[in-house]
Amino acid sequence: MEKQVAIVGYAQTGYESDVDASREILVLEAAVGALRSAGISREVIDTVVTANNDYMDGRTISNMRLVEPSGAWLKDESKVEMDGAYAVLYAMMRILSGDHDVAMVIGVSQASVFPTYVPGVMTLDPTFDRERGLLNEVSAAALQARAYMDACGVTEEQIAGISVKNLRNAALNPLALRRMPVLTVDDVMSSRMLYSPIRELNAFPPSDGACSVILASSKKAAEITDCPVWIRGVGFSHDSYLTERPLDKLGSLKQAAERAYAAAGISDAKDKIDVAEVHENFAHEELMAYEALGFCGEGKGSALLESGATKINGELPVNPSGGALAANVACAAGLARIAEAALQVRGEAGSHQVKGVKTALAHGQTGLCAQENIVFILGGE
Amino acid sequence: MESDGLQNVDMVRIPAVPVFNWSVGNFMERFFDGLKGGKFMGVKCPDCGRVYLPPRMICERCFAKNDEWVELPPEGTVESFTLAQVKVGEDGELADLEAPVLIGMVKHEGADTCLVARIEGPDPEEASVGMRVTAVLDKSAESILDILSHYVPR
Ligand SMILES: [Zn+2]
Repeated sequence: MEKQVAIVGYAQTGYESDVDASREILVLEAAVGALRSAGISREVIDTVVTANNDYMDGRTISNMRLVEPSGAWLKDESKVEMDGAYAVLYAMMRILSGDHDVAMVIGVSQASVFPTYVPGVMTLDPTFDRERGLLNEVSAAALQARAYMDACGVTEEQIAGISVKNLRNAALNPLALRRMPVLTVDDVMSSRMLYSPIRELNAFPPSDGACSVILASSKKAAEITDCPVWIRGVGFSHDSYLTERPLDKLGSLKQAAERAYAAAGISDAKDKIDVAEVHENFAHEELMAYEALGFCGEGKGSALLESGATKINGELPVNPSGGALAANVACAAGLARIAEAALQVRGEAGSHQVKGVKTALAHGQTGLCAQENIVFILGGE
Repeated sequence: MESDGLQNVDMVRIPAVPVFNWSVGNFMERFFDGLKGGKFMGVKCPDCGRVYLPPRMICERCFAKNDEWVELPPEGTVESFTLAQVKVGEDGELADLEAPVLIGMVKHEGADTCLVARIEGPDPEEASVGMRVTAVLDKSAESILDILSHYVPR
């Protein structure tokens, strides 16, 4: 994609396990923060796309009362009931349609207000799996982890290495929920076992928070900022239900990445991508993502991790923010990956800034065992 | 955030419990009827020949309506497994189990998709991907959903 749509502002709330605020206040904080970051007022926004979930918010048409805090009053407002990364795609298409110049995307949820693991159970096949009480997002991920470990000869200690890398990185990110500067593989391996091989520290922490990203057409972006972050490519793909596809690889992520790379004109991802923010709900998914994103060959994810390449000071840092293992707000975790990737391109990431980022990759996922995946390639001037 | 949180209202209870009275559809009816008679009934895609167990009406790969019923054996292979130490409790959070439960994802011989059920019998340490198992049915189960009781190694 040539320079058609740019990210011109973003904001995240601090992530907490039980924030003392309503979702409206979280949205207001993210919206005001993003407007301030872009240096524009509410009047400049043409369209607002929110990402939230009726079930998690405990109300139908749950975007309705988000009109006020998102600044969408009497504007063209819409909603995506998936991760906010998909709302960015929707907003981008609204701009490409020519009808809008500036779009605000906001993702929000509060795990502290809904029964954390019920939404995952509700996504199961209601005529069988859902009623049998065995599957949920953690046990499903455990089946995925075991299938991957068996296919690729990966150990639990290697998977724990992802948690160590990401949660140590999170200590450099003031917004992260799990900030663990001295975490070791042994610490991860002795954390509470949930569903083998998944332990508490290689599963996402249920989190509260919001994230906002502002997009603009090329014309408007030039008026708003001297350092737009261009969307150079996007790809997304939706795979089968978890019992009907191979769980040992992320086929739809591979396809999404190939589409995004083609749009961005990237033939060698490992060489061209300077930093990646990956939406890993569980530690093993980051290893699987290395392979699907073409950062290494099939089955070589753990070798890439152990080479140190994906450390914050490595050749291809992954999740310098700490990723979703450090804070995972449903409907905002993939969106936060986009905000973090944009932050890296602009050089505004502070303590977790990677040096010399020109091209960044951001990934979002929705569904059990990463059923749907979306990949964005972002770049500066 | 500076508020002290909600002081006056502890919890709002929605005055209705959302219970959905879905029909399981003709295909799952036939699957359950099969289980009652001790049979595993799947369907085959007319275009690619992929066999779905449990049966699905549509082959997403071919965008075709599955129409050929096939009876599959009770034997299959463990495609993946997990030893559960927890379950999703009544409150929707993870609650410790009194005893761990081995859960397997099993592909029956001749099928291309999997069923998820408990595995009983093996020492959890000995469970493996590729382990061959046989289904155990409990035709006296109170719920039709529980007729597929578990798998045992063979
Ligand atoms: Zn087919």
